[in-house]
Amino acid sequence: MKRFVLVLLCVLVVFAPSLFAQGQKAASEPDGRTVITFRSWSPVVATTEKMIAAFEAKHPNIKIDATIFNYPEYIVDLQTRAQSNTMPDIIGLEPGAMTQQYRKYLMPVQDVVIKYWGENWKDKFHPIGLDQARLGNPKGDENFYGLPVLVQTINMWYTIPVLEEAGLEPPKTYDDLLKMRDYFKNKGIAPMMVGAIDGWLRRDIYMQIIHNIAPGSIYQAEEGKAKFTDAPFVEAMRVWKRLFDDRIIQDGALGLSAYPGSQELIEAGRAATFPMGAWWMQMAGNPNPPPLSQGLVGYAPMIFPDVSGNGQSKDLLGGIDVMLGVTKAAVGKEEAIQVFVDFIAGDAAQALINTFNDIPAIKGMAPEDKYFESDNQREVWRILSEEWMPNVKYPRQLRSPEIIQALEDALAAVASGQLTPEAAMQKVQAVWKPLS
Amino acid sequence: MNSQRTNRAVQQVGLLFIAPAMILFVVYVLYPIGYIVLNSLYEWDGINERVFVGIQNYRHMFFEDEIFLISLRNVTYWIFLTIFPQMFLGFIFAYILNHDIGGRNIARAIIYMPAIISPVVIGIVWQRILNPFGGLLADLGYKTGLTFLAQPYISDHKMAIFAVIAVNVWQWTGWSMLLYLAGLQSINEEIFESTRIEGVGKWQEIRFIVWPMLKGTHLTLILLGVIGALQTFDLVYSLTNGGPNNASQMLSTYIFLRSFRLQGMGYGSAMSVFTLVLALVLSLFQIKVLGAKFQVAE
Repeated sequence: MKRFVLVLLCVLVVFAPSLFAQGQKAASEPDGRTVITFRSWSPVVATTEKMIAAFEAKHPNIKIDATIFNYPEYIVDLQTRAQSNTMPDIIGLEPGAMTQQYRKYLMPVQDVVIKYWGENWKDKFHPIGLDQARLGNPKGDENFYGLPVLVQTINMWYTIPVLEEAGLEPPKTYDDLLKMRDYFKNKGIAPMMVGAIDGWLRRDIYMQIIHNIAPGSIYQAEEGKAKFTDAPFVEAMRVWKRLFDDRIIQDGALGLSAYPGSQELIEAGRAATFPMGAWWMQMAGNPNPPPLSQGLVGYAPMIFPDVSGNGQSKDLLGGIDVMLGVTKAAVGKEEAIQVFVDFIAGDAAQALINTFNDIPAIKGMAPEDKYFESDNQREVWRILSEEWMPNVKYPRQLRSPEIIQALEDALAAVASGQLTPEAAMQKVQAVWKPLS
Repeated sequence: MNSQRTNRAVQQVGLLFIAPAMILFVVYVLYPIGYIVLNSLYEWDGINERVFVGIQNYRHMFFEDEIFLISLRNVTYWIFLTIFPQMFLGFIFAYILNHDIGGRNIARAIIYMPAIISPVVIGIVWQRILNPFGGLLADLGYKTGLTFLAQPYISDHKMAIFAVIAVNVWQWTGWSMLLYLAGLQSINEEIFESTRIEGVGKWQEIRFIVWPMLKGTHLTLILLGVIGALQTFDLVYSLTNGGPNNASQMLSTYIFLRSFRLQGMGYGSAMSVFTLVLALVLSLFQIKVLGAKFQVAE
């Protein structure tokens, strides 16, 4: 009997992986339509449905089977699918570490898109989008394993009626921030509303501070040509700490999420300014938006105030909101390429842009006129897509997940008083490794 | 000889009967455990080539990783500060609501309700309540003059884990109450009648009769509580995301962070193996010390 059990166990251990590792075959519907599978965490379900409807209306022979997850569930799903050889045809990607992690499952797309966009297809894209799409590629690897759908700036916003009522201009310097703080004291309005539970938002602010103090230096530190313990980084950390100590950032920020926590307070008119990127435009497209978000009448973008005395930065930080990749599961499926190019630059992309989700990766694309609900919304679109996006010089994203995490932890530690700026930056430097 | 053959035939038939369960157990329990143990010896991002590092992941975990030790400390807090308050409050509610008092069904439903709400929703709602700027407690405090209500409950690194624990107790007290109610209702009514005839007071009734007779329920709640502490993820993730600066990180949230966000599946596997061993040791310890008389076994 023991032998029987042992044999049974061995057989199962040997064959169990194959039970779950059946490759995904090209599927088709009973009506003969080819099914293309798409999985991502972005765009949200309602927007993805609009994109699919727009695509399928023009391509009746193709059906898109889409599943949109929350981000944590998505990365678990994707990793499980990669290991069990059941990758979908098209996947949502973040530039940098995530794309590099799945590189061997992704099809280089630079050649397959020529048929649709021509030889000079790169000219269609905002340069920062293409630059970031290859973030972390091994030296000499010029392939595009994915292409951006949406790009973005990171910046600040102000609440127009709140500042108008206070008779204040959007802050341009640290002193302006202090004046604003004094004015709004005990009025229930945060001078700068930050949902600092989220590491990405803490990092976005730090990136803007260090960009103001020493533009481009953080990428030097990533490459090992500077150290995170160098004076500008410590100074940027001090400025970050001062934003809390001077109560410019609201009390309890480290216990408030960006979404939905700070979003609700901002939309309730309790924020004078707040750090978000171009994607804040999408608030107008939510179902039943609050008055400030209707037609985006209540908000305008602004550059991060000068905290160094160098003047406000002329160029901006930005990068990719979401990019798409075609997996090797779709090799030989021309329909998958059709979906891919349409989601980036076709009818589906237009449906996406009509929701003001973010700035299209393709230059010159804009929401259809009927979707603008106010002059302010039109002006915000013009500023972000025509003035600011072409001036994005530096990426928002860093390459190494370890550095990103260490920086985000260091920012929380300094804000909560657990570490000094110097000690915090030493911790960041401690996890630095040469980029592969 | 014949008898031996018959025995073997019986054994083989028995084996066939348990084979389906065995197969499921091997595929869904043993194989994943073996796979995780193996992965824990590698540096691996979960996708690409693995690099064998021996026990390096374990060494790093125990001797170099401060956040792992914070997570372990938080699990210890969690075990002691959720299980016993939940049991205590659950028992009090159950005892009171087991009596024939008006509105008891509504009270039972209200107390139990948080247990059926998604922990993610609870996290979002409690964040709104606890936020010192614009949160319900803070606004209430400013309106009534009770300004001490505006505290950095989840943004202060010293308070955050206790705030999450308090919310967890709020959520699961109803569940403890339900189990105690079931236990109380399984006690023979004649026992209560005889204590009344004997003139036994309420406190003595609770201390010497009710409490000991609910031993199976206590043990069940402790065992489930310990396992729950090791598995807790959703509430922490949605309420504090393990912060600030990892101050409310639990083993499960830290495993997720390292395995998926930081692409360290090997290291995450090592922490998972540790969690599994910890769960086994704690469960065996409880059964050994407190006995194995679970509610479900009664």
